[in-house]
Amino acid sequence: MELFLDQVWTARWPLWDGFLLTIEIAAAAIACGTLLGCLVGIQLVFAPTLIRLPFRIYVDVMRGTPLLVLILAAFYIPSVVGLNLSATQAGIVALALFAGAHIGELLRGALQSIPPGQSEAARSIGLTFPQMLAYVLLPQALRSALPPWINTGVELIKGSSLLSMIGVGELLLKTQEVIGRTFMTIEFYVFAGVLYLVTNILLDQLGKTVERRVGGHL
Amino acid sequence: MTQPVTQLTTQPMHPLLEIRGLRKQFGTLDVLKGVDLALNQREVVSVIGSSGSGKTTLLRCVNLLEEFQGGEIVLDGESIGYRVSDGRRHRLRDRELSRQRSMTGMVFQSFNLFPHLSAAGNVMLGLRKVRRMARDEARAIAEKWLARVGLAARADHYPSQLSGGQQQRVAIARALAMDPKLVLLDEVTSALDPELVQEVLNTVKSIADDGATLLIVTHEMRFARDVSNRVVFMEQGQIVEDGPPSEIFGNPRSQRLAEFLRNTRT
Amino acid sequence: MGYSLHFGAIWASFDRLLFGLALGLGLAAAAVLVGTIIGLLAAFASVGPSRIGRLVAGTYVTLIRNLPLLVLVLLVYFALPQAGIRLDKYESFIGALALYSGAYLTEVFRGGLLSVPKGVVEAGRSIGLTRFQTGLWVTAPIMLRNALPSLGNTFIGMFKDSSIAAAIAIPELTFEARKINVDTFRVVETWLVASALYVATCFAIASLLRGLERRFPKF
Repeated sequence: MELFLDQVWTARWPLWDGFLLTIEIAAAAIACGTLLGCLVGIQLVFAPTLIRLPFRIYVDVMRGTPLLVLILAAFYIPSVVGLNLSATQAGIVALALFAGAHIGELLRGALQSIPPGQSEAARSIGLTFPQMLAYVLLPQALRSALPPWINTGVELIKGSSLLSMIGVGELLLKTQEVIGRTFMTIEFYVFAGVLYLVTNILLDQLGKTVERRVGGHL
Repeated sequence: MTQPVTQLTTQPMHPLLEIRGLRKQFGTLDVLKGVDLALNQREVVSVIGSSGSGKTTLLRCVNLLEEFQGGEIVLDGESIGYRVSDGRRHRLRDRELSRQRSMTGMVFQSFNLFPHLSAAGNVMLGLRKVRRMARDEARAIAEKWLARVGLAARADHYPSQLSGGQQQRVAIARALAMDPKLVLLDEVTSALDPELVQEVLNTVKSIADDGATLLIVTHEMRFARDVSNRVVFMEQGQIVEDGPPSEIFGNPRSQRLAEFLRNTRT
Repeated sequence: MGYSLHFGAIWASFDRLLFGLALGLGLAAAAVLVGTIIGLLAAFASVGPSRIGRLVAGTYVTLIRNLPLLVLVLLVYFALPQAGIRLDKYESFIGALALYSGAYLTEVFRGGLLSVPKGVVEAGRSIGLTRFQTGLWVTAPIMLRNALPSLGNTFIGMFKDSSIAAAIAIPELTFEARKINVDTFRVVETWLVASALYVATCFAIASLLRGLERRFPKF
């Protein structure tokens, strides 16, 4: 045990860098994914059929494809089409596209569960469509979409571990590097596991707190 | 039908069911406040009263679906639900309770048929798993009872394919097939559409005529009058009056019963 | 762009991709089978009378659901040998995926248990079935049927997660696709085909599931 803690201390900077990168990647992915998801969600509910179609296909393809496949595709494809992306950037793109589809589906469900009377009332006081969306529909939809949205965040933190397979120096890869040096396999995998666990559980708790504060009077 | 519908007690001089000083609480709420009731074999007793009077709870205590804190229930000479050792009362273990439950039959307001089994399957389950009968034997008995309630042709239908009245009749067959000493009926027509009520009441009357021992909770006053040997009026966890239908309905002695009867007359 | 699509190299190795696909389905099936047993036990424990049972079940679910599958797989594959347990690649992956799916299935079955009407369970008790008999002959069949859609969706999820077996060099679809990608440089085609295979399979399973649900609707 002492030896293990010793090694943790020795490796504290790389491990910390890895952990930080994990958080940054997940944050970037959820930010982009949410923006994308909002667009997708709105289109899926309100757009005419022809415009809805590509968005529907996007969502269905993303949901039917394993995240790892998306990551590998995002890693290998850009260079042959002339784009220069680092492994980290490629990873974020894959995660963001993945999140965008899920959040889009989420938002679609949330919007469709708002009683139709709400939009009727909004229209009858003369709000335009964008106003109705911004002031009446989205506020309600976002409140009910909050818990699953936090869940998507947790999934992204878990998903970031897959980026180790394309050489991104996030927490799992850094842990594997330390294992490579010290051969303390169980200890460090458990260590990484605990870090992921604690992070996700904290995120979950944060989500519940925000939900309580915000979702009170719905 | 010459054979009695419910089991003959081994001690014909004893009441079949004796409830003595039954007390039950739900948390801090007293639901049964000392109920005394005796039922003889082949007697049909109806329990009437407003909702919240404790009628259903009374039935569920006899059936051991509910625990009770005070008093005793004696079925055919056996005190059920609890044993006393070293001066303390202990709830019996699951196996014992299950055995005792198989001696009473219960028909519920919401039928509670097993949706994944056919009508015959519903009737057979207890026969096969509790009475440990072979499949053929159980099937024969199930078909007999389904025929008895007029549903021989529907033996292989599933509950979702049966009307409410038909489902309730299957539930009656299911209870009777276990050859219980007494059958408890808890508002068995309350959840039915009006046009389906009569077929169930007719079925209950017919098994009463065959000599079954029944304890019935009901709102159907005319039916209670027709089919019962005795009617019991409950209010706020106690029995207020107990007597033959002519007395209870024609000559109520207590103010509360008179008022109740007034309010239930449409 | 200067990149033209040539699927020839992909078709040449298509059989390897299909084999990988079948392997993925097999891994998922095996994992879900074991996971179902774990999930049923944990589900019954989580609504049962024992406080310790509820605690253990709840901890198990929380632990697994917040852990990345890849970490779990690597832990089982690399770390268990250190503890003296020797498993081959396939066994350890199926084991890890079974543990993983078990946590999700616990929630599925718990929902199923809660959906069994209380009155029907009481009817079972009132004809004299013991608690165990009621659980086996009344509660379980109803619960399993009600849980069928979620069970199917979990299987689809596990099929997608079988792609992670690539991390320990199991030759399932993703692993083979990466190999073809590296060998042939036909980057776009490879991943297009791989993705299409996954999407098509998931769609097929989902359709099958919907068909089953129509034939066996919920109680």
